[in-house]
This record gives sequence, structure tokens and C-alpha cells, in this order.
Amino acid sequence: MFLLPAALLILVMNFWPMIQAFLLSLQTGRGTRMNWADPLWSNYQRLFSDEIFGLTVQNTFIYLIIQVPIMLVVAMVLANLLNDPNLRFKGLWRTAIFLPCAVGLVSYSLVFRTMFANDGIVNDALMGMHFIDSPINWLGQTGTARFVIILGLLWRWTGYNMVFYLAALQNLDRSTFEAAKIDGAGAFQTFWYVTVPQLRPMILLTAIMSTNGTIQLFDESWNLTQGGPSYTTMSMSHYLFELSFQKNPNFGYGAALSYAILIMVAVLAWIQMKVGDKRD
Amino acid sequence: MNKLRKFASLTLVAPLAFALAACGGGPTTPSATGAPASGGGKSGTLTVWCWDPAFNIYAMNEAAKIYAKDNPDVKVNVVETPWDDVQTKLTTLAQSKATDQLPDIFLMQNNAFQKNVINYPELFSDFSKSAVDFNQFPAGVTAYSTVDGTHFGLPFDNGTAITALRTDVLKEAGMTIDDFTDITWSDFIAKGKQVLAKTKKPLLSGTAGSGDMIMMMLQSAGASLFDEAGNPTISGNQALLKAIDVYNEMVKSGILVEVNSWDEYVGSFVNSNVAGTINGVWIMGSLQKATDQSGKWAITNLPKLNGVPGATNYSANGGSSWAISPNANQELAADFLSKTFAGSKELYETILPSSGAVANWLPMAESSVYAEPQEFFGGQPVFQKVIEFSKQVPKNNTGVYYYEGRDAMSAAVTKILNGTDPNTALDEAQKTVEFAMK
Repeated sequence: MFLLPAALLILVMNFWPMIQAFLLSLQTGRGTRMNWADPLWSNYQRLFSDEIFGLTVQNTFIYLIIQVPIMLVVAMVLANLLNDPNLRFKGLWRTAIFLPCAVGLVSYSLVFRTMFANDGIVNDALMGMHFIDSPINWLGQTGTARFVIILGLLWRWTGYNMVFYLAALQNLDRSTFEAAKIDGAGAFQTFWYVTVPQLRPMILLTAIMSTNGTIQLFDESWNLTQGGPSYTTMSMSHYLFELSFQKNPNFGYGAALSYAILIMVAVLAWIQMKVGDKRD
Repeated sequence: MNKLRKFASLTLVAPLAFALAACGGGPTTPSATGAPASGGGKSGTLTVWCWDPAFNIYAMNEAAKIYAKDNPDVKVNVVETPWDDVQTKLTTLAQSKATDQLPDIFLMQNNAFQKNVINYPELFSDFSKSAVDFNQFPAGVTAYSTVDGTHFGLPFDNGTAITALRTDVLKEAGMTIDDFTDITWSDFIAKGKQVLAKTKKPLLSGTAGSGDMIMMMLQSAGASLFDEAGNPTISGNQALLKAIDVYNEMVKSGILVEVNSWDEYVGSFVNSNVAGTINGVWIMGSLQKATDQSGKWAITNLPKLNGVPGATNYSANGGSSWAISPNANQELAADFLSKTFAGSKELYETILPSSGAVANWLPMAESSVYAEPQEFFGGQPVFQKVIEFSKQVPKNNTGVYYYEGRDAMSAAVTKILNGTDPNTALDEAQKTVEFAMK
């Protein structure tokens, strides 16, 4: 009964547009003059023959596969370090690591773009230390541009995930660590055999959230590289935006693409739950 | 505690409410057709979307002042809206069939005009009943906003392309601006190499993957990525192959440095890292940011492509046009535009010196203000020159799929720079555009 208002709101604000988007993904046409596509699933068929879409899927998964594991491991290690009761200035470290999350996506992307410009601070520093002779065109080459995007993502999101682990760690029973200590376990053994298994639900949660976030990546692709050079750093959501608002608007196809993203997120989350959740 | 929570939720809700109010705000001020004021003047309010406070917003406000002399009851309400937002808002309003939320007049990039008219004709009203004489504008410019012979836009700022060079750097290399006037691209490259060797400064810079430079070369020969019927002609396009050749040679010999963003591009000449630039005349605004370089710049026409039929030394890049929405008091809006941007020398003479907005309106070429020498450009009467250039810019077909074509072409250029065979890369680009048009 008390859930009704909230449920209604979610229904109207969330699920109704989703149904509309699905109907839209079955239509095709110019501007507002949309008709049912023939065959109905032709927008979905189109996805498979779209080479640029293929490229953006590939880009997004490269970000996903490299960035998410590194980020989660680093976040977990940091959380463990910060959880040490003997650590001094705990609040300072915690704030410093979490602070990037308070920075707007666009503003940090712009700062990264300036830092990695041809005459930016990174090139200046590397040249000053004589690691390189001439400036590296960071954002102009596929490999380095992807590297900068991944670096940006790590900087922005590691602290965020760390906070989840910290919260989980504080709920763990200290006696388990003491027991491990008495049994003669080293720091790494304690971490691997005692801490990690107890953190499993939290690892699952952060993995699903990060996967979801990375697949819907937009700001970094848009602000850092504009998807270039020649589409090799463009994310799926960036391509979706380009199709709908920058090029000749093709909302039917755009809606189909958004459903493709939804399906990917759902499938990946399902796999992670199957692998990660051992409760049954 | 309870109070605090209430306050907190209020602070959350309040901005939301404002945001909602703002969404519905602007255009709801009715463009009322009030009683005619004394002296036969009109009355009402015109809401306008445009984006640059130092440029088109300023020009629109000046136009309002001039119109108000005869029509004191007409108010112009300019809403600052960045171009990307104008495009997104227009698309959203059209898609949600909320055209009553449109402003009366909005500014549109010339390159996006065809696309928007074809996709969303319900966003525009045509100029056929207005008093605007379109023969007083260069044909190459009105073509952007003309669909099937009907005019949907009134050209505002001039996109005529210029070559701007640092005369002090040229002097160091033993050359003058005349050495770069009426030349071909192969001359330009040869001279650029000399300048680079003697002064260590590249002549040009450009944003990697933007394709602007190549599009300017194409238009200078009246060529385009599309034929008259709108079909892509990227594959095996001789003018395009030639232009890409020139571009590649410039990048490889170091005459043109590629940068990755607009700020870096502007920085490259403001900080004297390069000795010049080629772009639409509106780039003068950015050039003049470097006040310490006053008197050290000069402009001339573009190099022309070798061995391409129809090649000229003139081209254009960008520019924008005013459009009237169907939601407007169309008669008032059309009258306003025809008496200001298509009929007031006073307006253009006011906005030129302070904002550098060069008119497309041809009667201005005889204006004495345009003939005044400009100190920043070493005493050249640059604006008169630009109007002279603008008459000779070949018309080109931007087509509905301009952005698709340009981006596919730019991607191909990046691949060619990395070693892909030009014909293969262009075939791929052709396929990409054909796919987008399906």
C-alpha cells in the first residue's frame, strides 16, 4: 500500500519510456515521420552489418576487460591498507582517494585532455626527465588514446569502489583476523583466505556496477577524444548519441542500439551472478 | 530534525522546479499581435536562440536597437543557447511534436541546414512572403539554406575562407604575402618547406580528424562528397584524392601540424608556434586575441588545387543563417530580418569593427567602414578583401548527409596517413556513408 506511489512513479517514469523505446526501435523513417519497419526487426538486423557499431563494441569491451579488474583489485588493496587500525591520518588518505569521485565527469575529462595535449604537462614532464625526445601525440593514436581513457577511468572510479570495500570491511568480525593471526597466517594469506571470501557479496556488487558503468561509458569518449582517431576510441553510448543528435536523426536505429546495450549489460550481470554468488 | 529534512528536500526540489519552468519558459511569452502603435510601427516580442555573446548575440541585440527606432513596441529577447544545444533542442522538440516551444527566430550552422530542413520541415517557415532580396547575397551562401528552390534561411555571418599569415615570419624567410597570393598548393608546399627550413615554424595547424581543411579544398574546386542527386561520390573522387594528397604531403613534411582539440589549434597561432592558418573569416576573432601580434598579420586568398577542373583560389568554411520557426509571428519576424540583416548598412557598420562580423550582404562591399585599413593586419583593408573573395566562392552541395560524409572522409584520411591505400580507404568511407543513408 505504501509502496504504491513509488511503484507507480517508477512505472510511469521508467518502464513506460522503456516500452516506448522498444516500440520506437521497431520503426524507421525520417524525422518524425516514422513507420513500422519491414521486417519489424530490421533495425536489429542492421546492427550486425554496421561496422562502426562493431568497432564501438570492441572499444567498449577493451575498456571493460582492462579497466574493471585493475580497478577492483587496486580498490580492494587500498581499502585493506586504509582499514589498518594503526594507520595514521586515516581520514586524510580516505578523503584524498575518494575525492576524484566528487569531480564532474566533464571537468576531469577536460583536465586530462589538457594534460595529455602535445604541449601538455605529461609530455613536458617526460621530456624534462629525458624519457622521450619528442612529444607523444597521446590522443591522436589509437593505442595511447585508449590508454589515456582507461587511466582517466581508473583515477575517477577507484576511490568510489574503495569506499564500498571499506564499508564492508568494517562490518567484518575482527575475531576472524585475530584467529588467522594466531594460526600464523601472513598478511597476504589473511587477505586472500580470510578477507576476500568474506567480501564476496561486495565484490559481486561492485563488479556488476562497474561493468554496467563502463558499458554505458560516454563522457570520457566524448570529451577526451571525440571518438577519434577514426572511431577507434568511441564508446557505444557515444555512437548512439551521434546517431540520434549529430548526424541525420535515426531514432529507431538508436533505440535498437540502446536495447542492444541493455541486453549486453543484462547478460554480463547474469554471468557474474552465476559465477560470483555461491549462496545456494 | 524533521524541519531540517523538509528544508533539505525543498532545496532539492526547488532547482528542479526552476529547471522545469526554464524548459517551458522562453517561448511562452506570446508573440502577440498587439494593436498597431502610432506611426504604423509593429509590436510584439521576438524570442531568438543564438550562441556567441561577442558575436551573433551582440549582432542580434544591435539589430533590435535599429529596428526599435521605427518600431518601438517590438522587443527582442535573446536566449543564449550554444549550437550543440540548439541542435539537440530542435531535434527533441520536433521529435516530441512540441513545436509550440520553439523560439521565433533561431540561428543555424550552414552545414547543418539541409539536414534539418529535410528531416524536420515542421521546424521552419519559408521566406517566400518576406521582402528579403536573396539576389543581394552570394549564391554560394544562400545555397546552404535553400531546399528545392525555397529559401529557409537568411545568411548571417560570412564563412569565406582566408589564408592568414605572419608577415614577420615570412620576412625572415625572405618572402612577402604576395608570394602566397593566387598560387597553387604545390607552390604553397614548396614555399612552406622553405619557411620551415629557415624559421623552424610550420605554416599551418589543424585539428586531427576534423576534415575542415580538405572540405575547404574541395569547395574551392566546386567539388563535394555528394552529387546533385545527393548520392555519395567519395569513392574515386579525383578532386578529393588530390586534396588528400596535398594534406598528406603537408603533414608529412611538417608544414601542417595536427593537434587534437580546438583550444590547442587556437593556441598554436596565438602562441606563435605556427606562422599562419587557413580557415573561415570568423577565425580573425581568434587571431586578434593575440594583441602583441598586431600589425604582424596579413590575409590573402587560398592556394588552388593543381590539375583539378574548376579549381579556384576561393572557398568557405562554416558560417550561419537565421531561420524563422512556424511558431513565430511570421510576418513580424520576416519584416524584422529583412529590415536589419538584409537591409541595414548601419547594422553591419556597427557590428563589424567591434565584433568582426563580416556581412554576406553584398551592398556592404561599397561601405566606407569596410574599406578602412585594419591596424592588426598591417593596414590591409581586410574586410573589403573578404567581400571580394566571397563573390567568387564556388557553390557546393553540402547535402543532407554532410556530417556523415565529412566524418567518414576524415576517418579515411587518418587511415591514409597511417599507410592505407587512398583508394581502398575512400571505398570504405563510401560504404560507411551508403550504410548510414540506408
